[in-house]
Amino acid sequence: MGEIGNMSAFRVMVVDDSPFSRTILADALQEGGCEVVGEADSLESLIEIYTNCKPDLVTMDIAMPDADGFECSKVLRFHDPAAKIILVSSMKDDETEAEARRVGVMGYVQKPVDVETLMRVINAVMSPDSLFAKLKNGGIDCFKEALAQNITRMTKTTATFSDKEPPATYISQGITVVIGIIGKYPGSVILDLSMETAEKMAHVLLRRAGKNREEVVSMAAEFANVVAGVACSMLNKKDKAFGLRVAPPSVFYGKATEVISPNIQVQHVYADTDFGQIYLHVGFKKGSILWM
Amino acid sequence: MDVNSVNPILSAFASVLPQIGFEKVEKKSVAMQGAVIENIGVMINIGMMGPLKGVILIGMDIDSAKRFASKMMMGMAVPELDNLAQSAVSEMGNMVCANACIQFSESGVIGLDISPPTLLIGAGGMVKVSVPKVIVVKFLVDEIAVNVYVGLY
Repeated sequence: MGEIGNMSAFRVMVVDDSPFSRTILADALQEGGCEVVGEADSLESLIEIYTNCKPDLVTMDIAMPDADGFECSKVLRFHDPAAKIILVSSMKDDETEAEARRVGVMGYVQKPVDVETLMRVINAVMSPDSLFAKLKNGGIDCFKEALAQNITRMTKTTATFSDKEPPATYISQGITVVIGIIGKYPGSVILDLSMETAEKMAHVLLRRAGKNREEVVSMAAEFANVVAGVACSMLNKKDKAFGLRVAPPSVFYGKATEVISPNIQVQHVYADTDFGQIYLHVGFKKGSILWM
Repeated sequence: MDVNSVNPILSAFASVLPQIGFEKVEKKSVAMQGAVIENIGVMINIGMMGPLKGVILIGMDIDSAKRFASKMMMGMAVPELDNLAQSAVSEMGNMVCANACIQFSESGVIGLDISPPTLLIGAGGMVKVSVPKVIVVKFLVDEIAVNVYVGLY
């Protein structure tokens, strides 16, 4: 048990309680051109060996005494949210797959393992996802375009985007609209503006002052909903594989509120409008699970 | 949405929490309320789409959120709701809602999907959701008060 040296492309750690299975799997990995850099047989040694051997990928058995592969995967992903885990197990059914998705496993190979299938799953998990990169790098541009377009369409004024970098810890200006995004890569979009900015916008949109806070808050939710919907449609047109849809908005207001999207790479920007500053925050995560 | 239709979410809550270090999950009350909810400290917002649409919010006060995160991290001291603690509680939200999707599919509501969690920290703030009525379920989880708000249609 512990660290093992060898030379090759991907550095893999094997977690399995059976020495026989570890040997078979290590042989298959080596045949496929991987380097087996560590082996663990239980939850007890998992984190220490993982930390020491820093693998690119972990193969995980399901049935193990004490903590099973799901439990081990949860602990590992908690220790390192970026850990890439594939399950290698003789069990393969809907329930097991659902559980695997839930704990954040990225791939699944059934035992007995054949080298070709194993390497196909490993290569798929390890290959840079160009579609996701497109979203991560350029996704916010569609949201900026949708925001500017709808400010113009709805208020006949223009919005420009500021070079000012928003703070890492973001505190709401007054009204925060949170919209979940569902699709190949789930995410969220947040629009945040002060009550005063929203009141001024509402005045133009309604052609009268907002009756009360409720009406102003609803206007902000509806505006954000339109921006998110238009932006997701633009992205879906660029590549229909995104399949993005927006969930109904939730609006937070009334007290200084810190806004956080944990475990997501976020892009954010300030838009300057005639009504005031609007903060736009967009993030997606890799939700795709590769099953073989 | 009638009160019974939140059962898959209750089952998810009761089945996920014991897996992440909690022993006792008690349902204290189930009630219906309007679309505006008070944020008592921390709100985890998770959007849902599919045959049911809307939002699931999980709310706690700050102290409860710290205790909750500590318990999830095997008793580690959590003096502040820092990045790690925020990540822990939001991951709990994600796990509960993902499990709820599975429970819904077992009861015939197939094809639900969820957005990643967003965390909103600010006691005394208000949240307005996009459905007229919300079902609020109050839990006591190892003596930590946790509220689950379900606004689906």
